[in-house]
Amino acid sequence: MSENMAKTEDIVKKGKALGADEVIATTVFGKYRQSRFSNNQIDIGVAWDDYTTNVLLTWKKRVVATQIKNFQKVTPTVEQLFKLAKVSKENPMYGGLVQGKFQYTKPMADTAIRDLEDPSEYIYEAIEAAKRKLGKNIDSGGILFTKYEQIFLASSEGPKGQDERSAIELSIRAFAQRDESGHGVECNSSLKGFNPAKAGEKAGEIAKLAKNPKAGKTGKYDIIFDPLFSGSLLGAYGFMGSAFFVLTKMSVFVDKIGKKVGPEIVTIRDNPGKYSVNNRVFDDEGAPVKETVFIEKGVLKTYFHNTSTAKIFKTQTTGHAGIVQPMPWNLEMDAGNMSKDEMFKDVKKGLYLTNTWYTRFQNYATGDFSTIPRDGVFLIENGEIKESWKAIRLSDNIQNLLTNISGISKERQHVHWWLEAEPPSLSPYVLAKNIQITRPE
Amino acid sequence: MEKDIVDYCLEYARSKKIEYAEARGVDTNVENMVLKNGLLDAYAVTIDSGLCVRILADGGLGFASSNKWTKQEAEKIVNIAYKLAKNSKRKDKIKFAEEKAVKTKWDVKQKKKIEDTPPEDKIKRLLEVDKTIMSQKATVAARMLTYLTMLAEKYFVNSEGSVISSFVPKIEVMPIGVTVVEGGKMEQLTHKWYGYTGGWEAFEAWKIDEDLAREVQVLHRLLKEGKAIKPGKMDLVCGPEVTGIACHESCGHPMEADRILGREMSQAGRSFIYQGGPYWIGTRIGSDKVTIIDDPAIEHSYGYYLYDDEGIKARPRYLYKNGIINEFLHNRETAAKLGTRSNGASRSMNYDREAIVRMANTYLQPGDMNEKEIFEDVKYGVYMHSFTEWNIDDVRFNQRYVGREAYLIENGELKTPVPRSTIETTTLTFWMAVDAVSKKIGYVSASCGKGDPMQGAPVDTGGPMMRLRGVYIK
Repeated sequence: MSENMAKTEDIVKKGKALGADEVIATTVFGKYRQSRFSNNQIDIGVAWDDYTTNVLLTWKKRVVATQIKNFQKVTPTVEQLFKLAKVSKENPMYGGLVQGKFQYTKPMADTAIRDLEDPSEYIYEAIEAAKRKLGKNIDSGGILFTKYEQIFLASSEGPKGQDERSAIELSIRAFAQRDESGHGVECNSSLKGFNPAKAGEKAGEIAKLAKNPKAGKTGKYDIIFDPLFSGSLLGAYGFMGSAFFVLTKMSVFVDKIGKKVGPEIVTIRDNPGKYSVNNRVFDDEGAPVKETVFIEKGVLKTYFHNTSTAKIFKTQTTGHAGIVQPMPWNLEMDAGNMSKDEMFKDVKKGLYLTNTWYTRFQNYATGDFSTIPRDGVFLIENGEIKESWKAIRLSDNIQNLLTNISGISKERQHVHWWLEAEPPSLSPYVLAKNIQITRPE
Repeated sequence: MEKDIVDYCLEYARSKKIEYAEARGVDTNVENMVLKNGLLDAYAVTIDSGLCVRILADGGLGFASSNKWTKQEAEKIVNIAYKLAKNSKRKDKIKFAEEKAVKTKWDVKQKKKIEDTPPEDKIKRLLEVDKTIMSQKATVAARMLTYLTMLAEKYFVNSEGSVISSFVPKIEVMPIGVTVVEGGKMEQLTHKWYGYTGGWEAFEAWKIDEDLAREVQVLHRLLKEGKAIKPGKMDLVCGPEVTGIACHESCGHPMEADRILGREMSQAGRSFIYQGGPYWIGTRIGSDKVTIIDDPAIEHSYGYYLYDDEGIKARPRYLYKNGIINEFLHNRETAAKLGTRSNGASRSMNYDREAIVRMANTYLQPGDMNEKEIFEDVKYGVYMHSFTEWNIDDVRFNQRYVGREAYLIENGELKTPVPRSTIETTTLTFWMAVDAVSKKIGYVSASCGKGDPMQGAPVDTGGPMMRLRGVYIK
């Protein structure tokens, strides 16, 4: 047994010895590197190393938690935490931590990412790729991020395991002119197969198409969403699929289990697979993660649960703890049967939207929202891109948008970008009919 | 905090061939509670502590941090930051605007210390607020309250001789998703912030119970009596909450110099203001009633600070002055690029994050009218007291605010509630339409999102009531 696992288990033992009902400790050694760039130059290289043990302790259904950063003060910190539990308030709905001993999948983290001290060469690969598409005089900016984490988890309820998680992400936005831009991302859990030039090419291609944009027009349109935009939409559905947000009525999926929420072509699952930048083998309670079918052929199959929310809904944990908020790890929309070209041919008059940001809701329960397309916005007529547009807003309803999906591409991309395409996802091109677009008056 | 290790970190950095270095130690004591539908889901207390170094070498910047407090670790992060700075190989070398060294200590006093207030008292007050929400004559189907306090001790030193120590306590309560149901329909208070720099005394000063009781009643009345308006051009009166969000989104953000220079282009975006573009310092962006100020030094405001995270003294920044673009928000890097001095807008949210250009407390300067005078001249329009959905494009020009509490105004009088009245317009149209501003100012707290990784910065937004003439409302 490693020294780190022994120290993690020791914290659990200390908590139990004080009289806690349950204790779970998770030690994370994280190595994070980031290079930020703009105007085709690196602005700053950032490195942060983190050594943390997260501790959760329960006593008579009182749930308290802390993070230990100073390992000289483990004993007094656990004692303080137990004192806090004694004066805290009982939560009768608290359902406990997952129980049992589990065999976890072997972590497959890429140590080459751990050893990458300065990955800035990848940035220049992406910029050069964008230039090949767009010409020499471009402006570009973005980030390159790497993560390598070692995790040691021990729970008084049985789970005990180690995980190693790695990720590399590149995000690039390329500009031909101030209002002619494209955005590309490249995300992978391993260096093998990581191709920064792909992100640069995509950003360059979109920016090239976005030439001379005109102010868009209000109306209802059939819309093709690029995988980066679809990733943002999947994030919204995933957030609303958390049992926590169902319980707080911040979801359009309240009381919809077993009911039709979308057309038959829509299947969405959560799968923190080995390819994902959010790969993992267990959740925050130590329950093994697994593929979870969220929406199958348009029917809502489950919410995302931890042990507590599962008990409230009289089901089993889906391996999505967050102790307080269960959340999806990596959403996947099943591939459809259309090629991207076929999808375009299917649109007589519509829009192709490549990216979005600032998605906000008027009311989470009804799903009324708006979001602001950015980078390439294109008018499609008879299957062809006719014009580049700007200054529009998608102002509709998130449930309506799901209902109106009429096409899904075979092609999918693993996308993750800032807070907008979050959590990571495997996203296709999606065609949705009759969606409201507005513009400033 | 082991200040000697922060000093050592700087000393070691100075042994390298550098143009500039700074080291910052941060100790935080953070308390979080989540009350979901009246039940305490979790109570978390975290004591965090770490240090960072930022180095300017060969015209490049490197930043590294750790939460291990040893001299060896300090050397390690300096070596990493130095290497990252050198490796950036910039053609266009980064420089910092010249500033004088500062040696000072500052802190914020608490009338009632957060750390001395027993946890059970804090829980009790949150539960009382929840009880108030539930005791209104309305059906509340769901609600959540989050509670956050942070006691932050900082120690900043730089290679120019600055030595600054500070202690800042902050407290925040946020109701989320308060859902009122009536006749098969529902409306939500999606979010609201109460923030304060100071002690536990804020909890009573906010009068949260009274305020949230009112919010529930407002939503209930909206469901029962709300009547949509016919879209068209009309007058709009904005309450301080709406004035504040507009100041933040369409003045504060586009005036951040790092955006203007492109540093945030792939995340939070750029600005409609740029060199060689149609808008720059001296260009008109609003009516002469529009003076928008960002001031970190407003005592007990949520965005309060006296020195920024580059050691620059805080002062009010007049962003738009009498409708004219006047002064950008700067750190030392952007100030040097644009040939000016920093105005102290550099903020970092923890030891493991670089300081970037941020707002503090952004508000519209009050005018000379009373509220009655603002309304009495409106024949037909909408009063938007608060907002629900809002957003703005990434150059901060195309924006939208949807009313949460709003009323029809007819002949100067408030009439029926208007559900989700919406203004969707440009920054220029919005601020040019302002023709009257009231005397009485109000502030609403918020967390401003920027940076990658995201750094949510405590800010206040606010202003008086303001009147816009002839804008399109739907």
